[in-house]
Amino acid sequence: MKLLLVEDEAALRLTLVDALRQGGYVVEVAADFAQAYEKIKLYQYDCVLVDLTLPDGDGLDLVRTLKADGSLAGVLVLTARDGIDDRVQGLDLGADDYLVKPFHLSELNARLRALLRRRQFQGQHHIVFRDLLVWPELAEVHVSGELLTLTRKEYDLLLYFLANPGRLLTKEAVAEHLCGDQVDAADSFDFIYTHMKNLRKKLQEKGADGYIRTIYGVGYKLSTE
Amino acid sequence: MKLLAATTRYYLRLTVGLFALASVLLYLGFDWALRNEIEELLYNRQLHLQKQVARGLPLPAPAFADNLDRSPQPRPLGFSDTLLLDPVEDEMVPYRQLTFRLQPARAGSAPEWVTLRKSLVETEDVLLVVVGVLIVVLALLLGGVVALNHWLARRIWAPFQHTLATLRGYDLQRHQPLSLPTPTIDEFGELNQALNTLSERLVRDYESLRQFTENAAHETQTPLAIIQAKLEQLLQAPALQDDEALATLVSDAWGGTQRLSRLHQSLTLLTRLENHQFAPAQAVSVQLEQVLRDRVAMLEPLLEARQVQLTLHADPPLPELTMHPGLADSLLQNLLHNAIKHNHPGGRVDVRLNRRGLEISNTGPTLTTDPAQFFERFRKHNAASDSPGLGLSIAQHICAYYGFGIAYDFTQVGNRHTLRVQFP
Repeated sequence: MKLLLVEDEAALRLTLVDALRQGGYVVEVAADFAQAYEKIKLYQYDCVLVDLTLPDGDGLDLVRTLKADGSLAGVLVLTARDGIDDRVQGLDLGADDYLVKPFHLSELNARLRALLRRRQFQGQHHIVFRDLLVWPELAEVHVSGELLTLTRKEYDLLLYFLANPGRLLTKEAVAEHLCGDQVDAADSFDFIYTHMKNLRKKLQEKGADGYIRTIYGVGYKLSTE
Repeated sequence: MKLLAATTRYYLRLTVGLFALASVLLYLGFDWALRNEIEELLYNRQLHLQKQVARGLPLPAPAFADNLDRSPQPRPLGFSDTLLLDPVEDEMVPYRQLTFRLQPARAGSAPEWVTLRKSLVETEDVLLVVVGVLIVVLALLLGGVVALNHWLARRIWAPFQHTLATLRGYDLQRHQPLSLPTPTIDEFGELNQALNTLSERLVRDYESLRQFTENAAHETQTPLAIIQAKLEQLLQAPALQDDEALATLVSDAWGGTQRLSRLHQSLTLLTRLENHQFAPAQAVSVQLEQVLRDRVAMLEPLLEARQVQLTLHADPPLPELTMHPGLADSLLQNLLHNAIKHNHPGGRVDVRLNRRGLEISNTGPTLTTDPAQFFERFRKHNAASDSPGLGLSIAQHICAYYGFGIAYDFTQVGNRHTLRVQFP
């Protein structure tokens, strides 16, 4: 899976590349508009991650170019501006999704997964993780061949964990993923406690025990062992 | 009061005063002159009669009896006024009379007292005509001067009215400085020039403020994003995950940056609302009920965790609002979140939407703060709360932005807090 990351801030770019490579992607980078423009004209990517505010241009113009060229690449807009305007404009231009900085790396992983799944596999895709088999198009989860019935939020939660195997997910990040970006940090535990408890119980009942580890005081982790 | 009315009023006061004074003086002056004339006439006649009598001629018989009156009895001498009956008009008519003692030339004959009279009627008529004509002319002059003044003032003040109308319709949002013309009147020319300069400076300052807001947003969000991403990566270090104390430390630092960035986003949003920086072009027709249902669905986990019951009543016809979708979402999000946050376990939230407004009412502890400060920034219900207390301030600003009314109300029965948003 080949990605292009367009981000002018070196420190952030390095961290993002790091996190994305850990997630198993092939990542190319562009530090400014000109580089990015050249790359999207020359190469094919599965997804382009665009920062809107670039020193020598507007990221939205890159989105326009991609759409005008009929590119098949998914477009994920990263914005540090007030998300309210860019969201509308970016999505109008045909971006697939957007994230307002600062965002959680785990959230980026989850959005990227969902985006790539929607774009490229058209329902043919399934996710396998240890004894779990997930058909995202059908919203079905099987544990060792047995159907697992989950509520919508529990299913969301599971997909989120599956997008971030082995990653520590802070409880704030999990709460934000479930309930949108305006959740107060103080509420986050309330937000997820019941859902986490129920999801674990359901997994446990089907014999998928110990998949989700609690890192005390910080968050949760989908255990790969 | 209008400037024109004010100046005209002073002008009128002066002219009416002068006009009254002039009328009185005119009357008195004419009266005095005419009487003088009559007195001189009577005196001349006295001398003439005295000369005739001295020459031994008899007193002539007067053509009109009233004009010459003789009496052997002494009378008071000199000029005086009297009223005599005019038999034709059958009314009392004023006369000026001069009485003198006449000693006939013949020795031994008794002296006589002669009274010469002259009617004042003609004099009064003349006086009336003259003063009347003069007053009419003066009045016409006064009226004409006032009208002319009015017309001139209107003409001369026209550039000022134009400037005023332009200023009233001025909108800083268009980023266009004023370009007022330079009229022929110097003072107005200077005023317009000063206003043009002022507006240029305003536009410049506004633009730099706007840019500063944008730059500040971008420039601070980026380092925050870096800190947050690095801390999140740091949290992935296996060594850290095994050390609970260390993990909590990093996690707390990470939580702090997150709060900071939230605060930052909220303040940026408030600034942009205050500066009217949401392009009207991005406003679309918003289905408020759908946004409301989406938001409620997102908040479901919090409702469950707090055991709060939320009911949603939407009574058609539903409002047709043209809003920026992001702002509509933010408004509902803040109001709903507020109603859930300041609730107690097992409490209720009732949301009512109809064409006229949106009403969100929730149970909750009695307010300890002044409801008047409800919408102020950083107004926290609980000082220890993690939330910066900007939610309601944002809601209020969004309402003000679209001309919605928003009011808070508390009823003792069931400790109900109600926030009402009224659509125009």
